[in-house]
Amino acid sequence: MEVIASGIGEFRPPDPDGFRAYVREHKERRLVDKTMSEQDAVAKLVADGDYLAFDQNVAVRGPASLLREIIRQRKKDLWVAAKFTWTDASLLVAGGCVSKIDVGWMATGRLINEAVRKGDVKLIEWTNGALAYRHLAGSLGVPFLPMRYLAGTDTFTQSGAKLIEDPYTHGRLCLVPALFPDVALIHAHQCDIYGNARVMGAGVAPQEIAMSSRKVIISTEEIISTEEIRRHPQRTTIPYYFVDAVVHAPFGGYPGSTPGLYAADVEHWLEFAAAEMQGKTDEYLQKWVFGVASHEEMLDKLVGAKKLLQLQKAETVREGYYE
Amino acid sequence: MSELTFTDVEANVCTIAGMIEEDKLYFVQMAGAPLMAVLLAKHTRAPDVGYVVEEGAVAPNPSFPLPRMMLGASKSHRRAVAWYGMNIVDSHAALGFMDYGLLACLQVDRFGNFNSTFIGGTYEQPERRFGGPGGANEIAAQCWRTLLMTKLQPRKFVKELDFMSSAGYLDGTPGARERFGMPANTGPYRVVTQEAMFDFEEETRQMRLIAMMPWVTEEEVLSKMDFEPLVADKIETMQPPTEEQLAIIRSQIDPGGLTVSRGEWYTIDTETGKRLS
Repeated sequence: MEVIASGIGEFRPPDPDGFRAYVREHKERRLVDKTMSEQDAVAKLVADGDYLAFDQNVAVRGPASLLREIIRQRKKDLWVAAKFTWTDASLLVAGGCVSKIDVGWMATGRLINEAVRKGDVKLIEWTNGALAYRHLAGSLGVPFLPMRYLAGTDTFTQSGAKLIEDPYTHGRLCLVPALFPDVALIHAHQCDIYGNARVMGAGVAPQEIAMSSRKVIISTEEIISTEEIRRHPQRTTIPYYFVDAVVHAPFGGYPGSTPGLYAADVEHWLEFAAAEMQGKTDEYLQKWVFGVASHEEMLDKLVGAKKLLQLQKAETVREGYYE
Repeated sequence: MSELTFTDVEANVCTIAGMIEEDKLYFVQMAGAPLMAVLLAKHTRAPDVGYVVEEGAVAPNPSFPLPRMMLGASKSHRRAVAWYGMNIVDSHAALGFMDYGLLACLQVDRFGNFNSTFIGGTYEQPERRFGGPGGANEIAAQCWRTLLMTKLQPRKFVKELDFMSSAGYLDGTPGARERFGMPANTGPYRVVTQEAMFDFEEETRQMRLIAMMPWVTEEEVLSKMDFEPLVADKIETMQPPTEEQLAIIRSQIDPGGLTVSRGEWYTIDTETGKRLS
């Protein structure tokens, strides 16, 4: 197979056999209780230098409480997949947690601009779809997948994709390397204590991300019984053996929305946006992350029951999620 | 004399909404003006039009008014026929089901290649870094036709892109897209702005002025571009926004005014179509 062109973007060489060996050695096959605190989950499963992937974003069903815990524990040198993200990357950059970002789409502003110019953060170009597709390749246990876009552009040049001649049709095709993250964060609507998780609504790639990652942390709005899981097996998004930790996190998507449960807190977003514009993200993090010991304490002390009730009432759509 | 006041983005949204066909399928950028154009069409002349969004909602029927930030919210995914993820809906485009892709961009060149990555400086030292292509490459490469929305300004219609995030007709030579692996017979179809519309001439694949709003002249349009496009033998007249369209945008689709309240304001005389201010 002839390689006609290659991007110059950095990527981790895909290693499906390394992934299989990791799974054989480390992944729990038994039904064991994996519930733990967010503090323990992040301390045990997120290491400095890890490649971090997550589903959705701080606007909708993102793992916001886990991202804050990562900042609280001052994790360093993470390589992040920013596909279909919003201010998630800015938040992690503000916390000093990130050294590389694979870009699909992310909200940018003062922080990212400065970090890129100073060379503190290195960007590698992909697209939302290309990153989701790289997770798909990982989830299939193959080193790459072919696709019909990306080549011919500067995005391709700054990515790790390749243009080849297809040995079947003899046309040309773009290949992207499989993505095998070290750790995945998925915020679910419901999960049992073993990690059988239900994600409701459209998502970016919760299944592919969980399947392709070595370590998987599920934060969940609700812990449900395994009996309930077994009564409706079709509703399971991620089965237990992919999952390493289950963190009970009601309002875990805050300040974003979790569809069917609560709306986003737009005022909070504006607070972050203002902090970023004024170069005051340290103060923002001090208040919302370092100033509290946990997600629970943040909800209790800074958000308050009244606001949480308002957000629940503002989410008027339950059809399709719980009905 | 009756007057109508609107922004450049509103004009753009209204024009695209008027082009939406109910017997076609659309792949729409997740938020902003492209999604608003489809929602306006759904609210007015094409209630049953089917569209998919990147994050996997298939043929939704949003409830109006939409929340101030409609990014992937449950109200915009409501009453879809299916909820999947990104890989599934991208495959629907790869299979040829998506007739039109709807996208916005920062810069576009004469062959419809476009930029959504950075402006000014170099890739390593950008003056202003933007969010990146998002789903633009998969949409622009795999839908049969791409509708690009942008503003008619010299800094948007450029001789040379600062960065080619996504492919139009590349260098314009026959088969250029296929040589880079893209499906045949695809590519940019129209570039729509607040004052003028362009297509791409069949042989040279160069951008061509085909329609203008009644208040501008050809000279004025060309003065707002950094390169000189081809000009059609007959330039059609574009329909300015209507009062009804603007009322729906402001009360139902973007009630917070997040997208439409920024930019240049136009006031026109609705009888003559001439611009008053």
